[in-house]
Amino acid sequence: MSAAESTPQSNGEVVVSVRGLTKVFKDFWNRPKARAVDGVDFEVRKGEIFGLLGPNGSGKSTTIKLLLGLLNPTKGHIEVFGHSPRHVPTKSRIGYLPEESYLYRYLNSRETLDFFGNLFHLDKADRDRRAEQLLEMVGLGQTQTRAVGEFSKGMQRRIGLAQALINDPDLVILDEPTAGLDPIGCREVKDLIVALARRGKTVILSSHLLSDVEDVCDRVVIYYGGKIQANGTLKELLAKPDSLRITTPVLPRETLEKVLAIIRHDISTSDVRVDNPTQNLESYFLEVVNKARAANVTSGAQSGARVAEYLRGGAEVQSSGEKVLEKLSLPLAAKPTPVKPAADAALAIADGGKLAALAQPAAPVAQLEQPAPKPESSRPVDLSKADEKLSALLGGKK
Amino acid sequence: MQRILAIAGLTWKAALRFKLFLVIAVLLILAVVGLPLIIKDDGTAQGFTQIILTYTLGAITTLLGLSTLWLACGTLARDIEECQIQIVATKPIARWQIWLGKWLGIMSLNTVLLAISGTCVFGLLQWRAAKLPAEVQQILHEQILVSRGSAKEASSNADIESETERILQNRLKSAAVEKVDVFEVRKQIHEQVKADFQLVPPSYQRVWKIDLGNAKDFLAGKPLQLRVKFNSAQKSASGTFLAMWQVGEPQKTKLWRSEPMSLAPDTFHEFEIPPDLFDATGVLTISFENPNRTALLFPLDEGMEVLYPEGGFGLNFARGLGIIFCWMAALAALGLMAASFLSFPVASFFALGMLLVVFSSGTLAESVDSGSVAAGNEETGQVGHSVMDVVLIPAFKGVLTVISLVKSYSPIESLSSGRSISWSELAAAFAQVVLLVGGCFGVTGIIFFSRRELATVQGTQ
Repeated sequence: MSAAESTPQSNGEVVVSVRGLTKVFKDFWNRPKARAVDGVDFEVRKGEIFGLLGPNGSGKSTTIKLLLGLLNPTKGHIEVFGHSPRHVPTKSRIGYLPEESYLYRYLNSRETLDFFGNLFHLDKADRDRRAEQLLEMVGLGQTQTRAVGEFSKGMQRRIGLAQALINDPDLVILDEPTAGLDPIGCREVKDLIVALARRGKTVILSSHLLSDVEDVCDRVVIYYGGKIQANGTLKELLAKPDSLRITTPVLPRETLEKVLAIIRHDISTSDVRVDNPTQNLESYFLEVVNKARAANVTSGAQSGARVAEYLRGGAEVQSSGEKVLEKLSLPLAAKPTPVKPAADAALAIADGGKLAALAQPAAPVAQLEQPAPKPESSRPVDLSKADEKLSALLGGKK
Repeated sequence: MQRILAIAGLTWKAALRFKLFLVIAVLLILAVVGLPLIIKDDGTAQGFTQIILTYTLGAITTLLGLSTLWLACGTLARDIEECQIQIVATKPIARWQIWLGKWLGIMSLNTVLLAISGTCVFGLLQWRAAKLPAEVQQILHEQILVSRGSAKEASSNADIESETERILQNRLKSAAVEKVDVFEVRKQIHEQVKADFQLVPPSYQRVWKIDLGNAKDFLAGKPLQLRVKFNSAQKSASGTFLAMWQVGEPQKTKLWRSEPMSLAPDTFHEFEIPPDLFDATGVLTISFENPNRTALLFPLDEGMEVLYPEGGFGLNFARGLGIIFCWMAALAALGLMAASFLSFPVASFFALGMLLVVFSSGTLAESVDSGSVAAGNEETGQVGHSVMDVVLIPAFKGVLTVISLVKSYSPIESLSSGRSISWSELAAAFAQVVLLVGGCFGVTGIIFFSRRELATVQGTQ
């Protein structure tokens, strides 16, 4: 199930409409210097999580700045909620997180939120209430009086995210929202994005991190060289209609062999693969950290609490991790696993020993690593490197 | 308004957290308290008080002016360079509100700084005055720590112009003059006629008729003061010249004749005259007789002035600070205008350059007077000509007109000579300096800022 399917609020109302958008940066003498965005068309509808995907310098951030009226288009037309991006009242419905946290370094986190709350004409009680909830949500409830300039990049990012939500926006534009965040922060941001979409909010997300986009987005456009190279729902773009995946609880060896015999009857052995589904690294990491957290205290950002009450509305948040599992358990299974397992144990069906290993009931993924997994050549995931990264993130514990 | 005030509050927070407010406040207080310790005066209490007022208010104006300009350039340009404006401008606040908020922030900061430093100057003056002997205190309160109205002779410009024109026409009739030289001939005749109006040859008399206007109604029984200044082409052996004064009109008013006074040229002299010497219409007649062997010249603009008590020093001082505040408002608008389209260093350079133009307005005025930017020949008196004159001279005239709007007020000079700064003068300064000049800077700055693409720079945080 994609995020679109999990957000029934998505309907036909067009929130952002971009037609023939072109942005050419010029030099001092007005000579064209760079064509950052070139004839781009797309529409974003209410309740959608829309991803702008592309390598660095492909025009994602420029598109976002054009949507916000921070840049003027050279050609083309933009409408946000039916108005020009420079229309001031419309901005009260928008929340924006830039690619860097451009905050006032001399303000503390509380004052930062209060300042932006004032720009939305919120009264004091409302500002205080929202600031309190947002700071709790982004895990900075304990560091309210420290100047933002003293914060780490990740903590600044969290404040940046909080300011983007102070007005309970209908359209949230997030430019590289997970940049600089630790895996816990990344997961929380993704959860938040899903929560916002469930409340009927529209989210535009720009990222070059494929997993971010894949985990949460309903529709994406892929940029390269300022042009849109692909545009569609994740289902449309990622589904492999010529293959099928069946996920079941662990089966006894006999049952498995029966099933395989039936399958072998129709297709050749080399086209069938059996493996253990593995959780992704993010889920594994969070599991380890959650265990470690029970004993440790950190002076940095804490894991955020639940999504701020005023942002939650009636919708309960389903974590993006759960969504990934949902996708895996779909009977259709018409598309590949969104986040590939780190230790993808690809096994040849003819290898009886390995089949036996797979048929063992409670074999943990990490233990399977020894006998079975061989990373696919197309997936450059190295467990030892991942292990090193984990160690670094966990303060050197191996 | 909540949004504008939020932006203004941000300027305060930045000024306090970066200790800018503290540094400027300390510098101002040091200037106010420290300057009187190192400056030299003429030894009199009046002279010392005048110098304290001139130097301290001058230092306050300079320090505040520079910090205002720097802060105005910095607060907006740095927000753009460090990209914070990219978040602010995506909130429901119009660009003009951001601009106005920045201006208000700077001006509220200036208000507090001006109030602190002004209170220090005022307190210092009162404290020093209180330690003086009673008679010196009285003089001080009559001449400097007071608000005195001023009356001068009606302008003679119209008479000078008509006389110049008459003589020029006669000259042109009697002898042919090259068309290109008419301008120069007229200028020379004008200077000559003007000199005739100012000059008092030996044994001649010069009479001023000065209308006190409505002030006559409250001046009955009050002594007045004459403030005079003259120049001399030659030096006397003693360095001074004799002066004989008569005030009042025979058979019409009471008469007062002075004892022969020995006065130095090129400086101001003030002396008291008895009350009730003006006639029923409020016209005061003053005669000067030149008993010296050399001609004396009383400048038309500052040669003779009648000063009369009008009010207290405190309120006058506050009005003087009010005019300085108006200047700061225009400077803040100038700095913000520059930062609306330039980066911080370039904006500061631009704003300081503009300030330099204001200070060098004398050179511009000379060029406009001579009609050319090219240097003339001093030996022949020939005026220079340049191809640029067609463009530059009208441009200089325009710039001078704007500068004169700002520079036509001189609160420091008025305060140090005990002259009153009226409410109407303060209102006019507000209208001209803040609304007109500052408003022009503001409108220009807001237009530039509203059209500017705010996301063309990458962050420098």
